[in-house]
Amino acid sequence: MRIYLALITASLKMYFRDRTALFWSLFFPVLIMVIFGLMNFDRFSPPEAGVVDGADNQASQALTAALGGAGGQKLLDVETGSRQEMLDKLTKGDIDAVIEIPAGFGTPGQISTVSVAYDSRKPQERGIVSSVLEGTLEGVFQQVAQVPEQYRVESRFQVTQAEVEGKGQGYKGFLVPGIAAMAIMQGGLFGVVFTLVAYKTRGILRRLRAAPIAPSHVLTGQIVTRLAVSMLQTYVLLTVGIIVLGVTIGENIGSWLSLSAFAVLGGALFISIGLVISGWAKNEDTAAPVANVISLPMMFLSGVFFPTSVMPDWVQTVSQFLPLTYLADGLRAVALDGASLTSQWAPLVGLGAWTVAMFALAARLFRWE
Amino acid sequence: MISPATGKGNGTGPVIVVNDLKKRYGDLQAVDGVSFEVKRGEVFGMLGPNGAGKTTTVEILEGLRKADSGMAHVDGIDVSRDPAAVKQITGVQLQTSAFFDHLKLTELIELYGKLYRRDVDAMKVLETVELTEKARSYYKPLSGGQKQRLSIAVGLVNDPVVLFLDEPTTGLDPQSRRHMWDLIKKIRSGGTTVVLTTHYMEEAEELCDRVAVMDRGRIVAIDSPDNLVDALLKTGFRNERKPRQATLEDVFINLTGHSLREG
Repeated sequence: MRIYLALITASLKMYFRDRTALFWSLFFPVLIMVIFGLMNFDRFSPPEAGVVDGADNQASQALTAALGGAGGQKLLDVETGSRQEMLDKLTKGDIDAVIEIPAGFGTPGQISTVSVAYDSRKPQERGIVSSVLEGTLEGVFQQVAQVPEQYRVESRFQVTQAEVEGKGQGYKGFLVPGIAAMAIMQGGLFGVVFTLVAYKTRGILRRLRAAPIAPSHVLTGQIVTRLAVSMLQTYVLLTVGIIVLGVTIGENIGSWLSLSAFAVLGGALFISIGLVISGWAKNEDTAAPVANVISLPMMFLSGVFFPTSVMPDWVQTVSQFLPLTYLADGLRAVALDGASLTSQWAPLVGLGAWTVAMFALAARLFRWE
Repeated sequence: MISPATGKGNGTGPVIVVNDLKKRYGDLQAVDGVSFEVKRGEVFGMLGPNGAGKTTTVEILEGLRKADSGMAHVDGIDVSRDPAAVKQITGVQLQTSAFFDHLKLTELIELYGKLYRRDVDAMKVLETVELTEKARSYYKPLSGGQKQRLSIAVGLVNDPVVLFLDEPTTGLDPQSRRHMWDLIKKIRSGGTTVVLTTHYMEEAEELCDRVAVMDRGRIVAIDSPDNLVDALLKTGFRNERKPRQATLEDVFINLTGHSLREG
């Protein structure tokens, strides 16, 4: 026990004294997160509106199409569904507004009341949706209902507006847990690989082997240190996200505990992959490219910077089984939606399975020199 | 020759007993039936050209490699049966090894002490190898000679019965080398048996009570340096060069002084 403690204390000390390690594992991810967060990619995409079609007639379909831009320039990103579905999505922040078309919409001689619900956090989107709706309603009425031009459009419909308190946090909210996941991956993978391969090539492991200790003593020191770093990275990144980017995370202590659980499990997984590489590789020249080949594609395929939904279907299928996807999804669900650990069994099982497999492989491949 | 001080460890018999030790790497029979004994408290040298099998033999004794066959006991412990117990009572300085960076020398010494389940007074150990002024330094910025001395200091944390030194002065300037010789003599006078490998014959003559000369995995001669020289002279061999009262190294030391030159 004293040997374990001595080696853990020593490697923690070494981590905090190593400026290069601190830069890459803490400062660099914070920098990337703040830069991407301040770019605010929300502005570049049209608002997303959920349409609840209570009429399901020619006029309502024409309106739905027109809201989406009807083949011309995209006005709104439209999806349709039931009232409850759409309101849930609005609350979660997946969409920006819900437009409900009443039954009998467009029937001549009847005033149709279109009701719109907005996300209270998104005044900008509200303005766009509101003006798009007014513009298209006018057009649809004239075209479909063939209302003579001399009739005032307003006499045919009215719009009621409501606000829903949304919990969605937009791109920044998406980004912060994603970057935390990425930092855990990079920290675990490269932290272990560069440290252990350097120990190996410089003969530090050789000298440790000459002492009356077991390999597990040395590896435990490494693993515990790296797990602590994973947690530290998560806390630092989320805290910077809260303070600098204004993201709301972790409404209670329970969600921070759940976040720590994901940080530890994710850390364990990427540390194991790091152990596989450093066990197998003879020196830095063989280890570094392999670590890059593993981590770089995941950075783009696992939805760190952008949702995987923008990618082709087959890529999405592959992506959902990647280690980093499980970690990013889990962290995001807990951080943004306040999901409980039990509800996140899928990413937990995914991470657990990968960790067991990688650790077993590392145990087989590890060599002292 | 100085008579060996009473050595540390269990009993008074030989501290190391090696019998018919063999180790093969692929096609190379690195150690080919080596047998010898090391007496308690002596400085025992292993000489031989590169690839003669010195380092492999020493590494088997240190518990770092497994012999294919043969017997090796250190202080009564069978190395192949209980390498951990042998490691516990031996100190090592390896040819190509290093220590953690970002730890101060005192922290390194204390850490290694704990690995040997000991509480060590780091400053005292550093004093033995004259590194106290570097106590708060990290490993990386040390000079070659300082790194070598630290390596020996770490080898001493468990107050070993036997200290193995693998080419302790290779790459050092004459001042550092003489310094190292003094250090090894000091360690020997404390009762620790020293086994060292070296390429320098004057080093073996200066330090070793007995030497084993190895070639191609075998021991070709084993005796005190004086006896080995006498035996050669008896065959009628004479060195062409006239022996002189001083060497070029004496000139060098005389011109540049004994003090260490380290940054």
